[in-house]
Amino acid sequence: MSAMWTAPAQSAGVRPSQPPAGPPLRGRRGRRARLRVIGAGLSKHTALIALSAMFALPLVWMVGTSFKTAAQALQLPVAWLPHPFLWSNYPDLFASLPYFRFFWNTFLYAAVTIVGVLASSSLVAYGFSRLRWPGRDAVFYVMLMTLILPFACTLIPLFVMYKRFGWIGTYLPLEVPTFFGSSVFSTFLLRQFFMTIPQSLSEAARIDGASEFYIYSRIILPLAKPALASVILFQFVYCWNDYLGPLVYISNTNSYPLSLGLALILGDYTTNWAWVMAGATAATAPIVILFFLTQRTFIQGITVTGQKG
Amino acid sequence: MQMTAPAVRAFRSPRARRLRTGLLFVSPWVVGYCAFYLYPFLATLYYSFTSFTGIGNPVFTGLANYDGLLHDAMFRTAVFNTVYYTAIEVPFSTVAALGLALLLNMNVRGQAIYRTLFYIPSIVPVVASSLIFVWIFQPSFGIVNDLLSDVHINGPDWFFSIAWSKPTFILLGLWGLGQPMVIYLAALQGVPRDLYEVAELEGAGPWQRLRHVTIPMISPVILFNVILSLVVSIQYFTQAQVIESPPGSPGNSTMFYITYYYQQAFQFLHLGYASAMAFLLFVGVLIVTVVLLRTSSRWVYYEGEQR
Repeated sequence: MSAMWTAPAQSAGVRPSQPPAGPPLRGRRGRRARLRVIGAGLSKHTALIALSAMFALPLVWMVGTSFKTAAQALQLPVAWLPHPFLWSNYPDLFASLPYFRFFWNTFLYAAVTIVGVLASSSLVAYGFSRLRWPGRDAVFYVMLMTLILPFACTLIPLFVMYKRFGWIGTYLPLEVPTFFGSSVFSTFLLRQFFMTIPQSLSEAARIDGASEFYIYSRIILPLAKPALASVILFQFVYCWNDYLGPLVYISNTNSYPLSLGLALILGDYTTNWAWVMAGATAATAPIVILFFLTQRTFIQGITVTGQKG
Repeated sequence: MQMTAPAVRAFRSPRARRLRTGLLFVSPWVVGYCAFYLYPFLATLYYSFTSFTGIGNPVFTGLANYDGLLHDAMFRTAVFNTVYYTAIEVPFSTVAALGLALLLNMNVRGQAIYRTLFYIPSIVPVVASSLIFVWIFQPSFGIVNDLLSDVHINGPDWFFSIAWSKPTFILLGLWGLGQPMVIYLAALQGVPRDLYEVAELEGAGPWQRLRHVTIPMISPVILFNVILSLVVSIQYFTQAQVIESPPGSPGNSTMFYITYYYQQAFQFLHLGYASAMAFLLFVGVLIVTVVLLRTSSRWVYYEGEQR
């Protein structure tokens, strides 16, 4: 696990391609062997390029359609390039739907829960990794078990409870639990990272008389910045994506996050696919741009949680 | 209150102090667990034996909800659709993600670019990817059917065909396999090189190296991912909810378990009935997980452990 973080280039990134070992190939047999190596490389790339094209096609098609006129979107046989190239789908869409309102609601939802997750998950992860106490591992397994608990098994009583609190129609049902370690995924990620920090650091501080909270806040957290960055990113993406939570608790269109607002346009504008795709592009672009800006943090975060602990 | 001397000593012992510090750190989660998991879970179990609309008090009705489910044809349809989706999507996406990771792990030039290309669809917001797929699989104007007509195939109605709706959702699911692929790729890169060298010296071909070195070495990661993706796909809901209107159409072919649960709970306010569905779902997930973990000792290899 530690290798994953100390040598990110090795685990998460480009590996320098190694030249094939063995004596150099010479003569007729050598040429044939070399051809075979080149052939294998070609077929590998052909397969990869074909697959990449399949994976990229839906996105390319989404962006392409978003610049077409409503009529051209329905043109048969399909036109690969927008003609004329129409920018106005975007401003039109933003004018007819409270799109920026949806963006803002989503940002607020993400910001509050990021604070909640950072505060609670890092504390809990510390308790599960840097401290030894009787029963720790049993409690940790109970926490992991909640990962396989279907959300349906808790939804109805929670809804009844939040209704009593007067929280329905607000984001509180989605925000408050994050302050109580509800993001098991983040806790798990941070725990995995904390375990890679040498225990000797904590021991030295303990000998100097530092309190556990001091060690947590002044020594471990500053060292865990990359992992905390991953947590922030994943929580942001989670909120950006979350459809079910707002669907259950948010009913007023003005409070909608982007996910619910976007689903709205399918019903309203099904005849104008260029608009629908402009909406999809507007919702996808920020997250893809964010991914490109923070790729390393992203991939490291997935890698560290994907491994067994 | 006066404590006896041994009790004071036990309370102040290093062991007790460590327990207190540990619990203090995990206390946010303990509170959250009781309030947001344990209590609602137990309440769901209780509601499942009642008739409850959310207003007033639940009325105890014994096993009536479970008996009702037993005779509910729509419930059986929902179970069938969910099993169909899960039984195809999980193995396919596991094999495909693993296959892509293996392909990328073969010292390909531009590995990072390909990896990014395969990964990006998995971060596209789920509502956006649903809209995109409705559009590309649109029966008359979609690009997929247009491309198929170029090779003289009359494309089906995809999301709007009883026979094709579930396979189309499976395709949508496969598009998002980037997450497990990245995890598998990292696991593959963690397999020690010398194992392959030894295998090669012993005369193992590529297939044998895959079968006897690669797969065993990454099997714990595979198990972890398979369990998680099973749990996710058994609860399949959002995409179907966004795409199909009314939910479950055409001809109930996309009435998934959670789709039906959601309808019972939030449309009909049959909260007791829906709770019974939720509890049965929990039992189902638990059985699947336990079976996987139990049988895993046969195919999962943990380093440093006697087999």
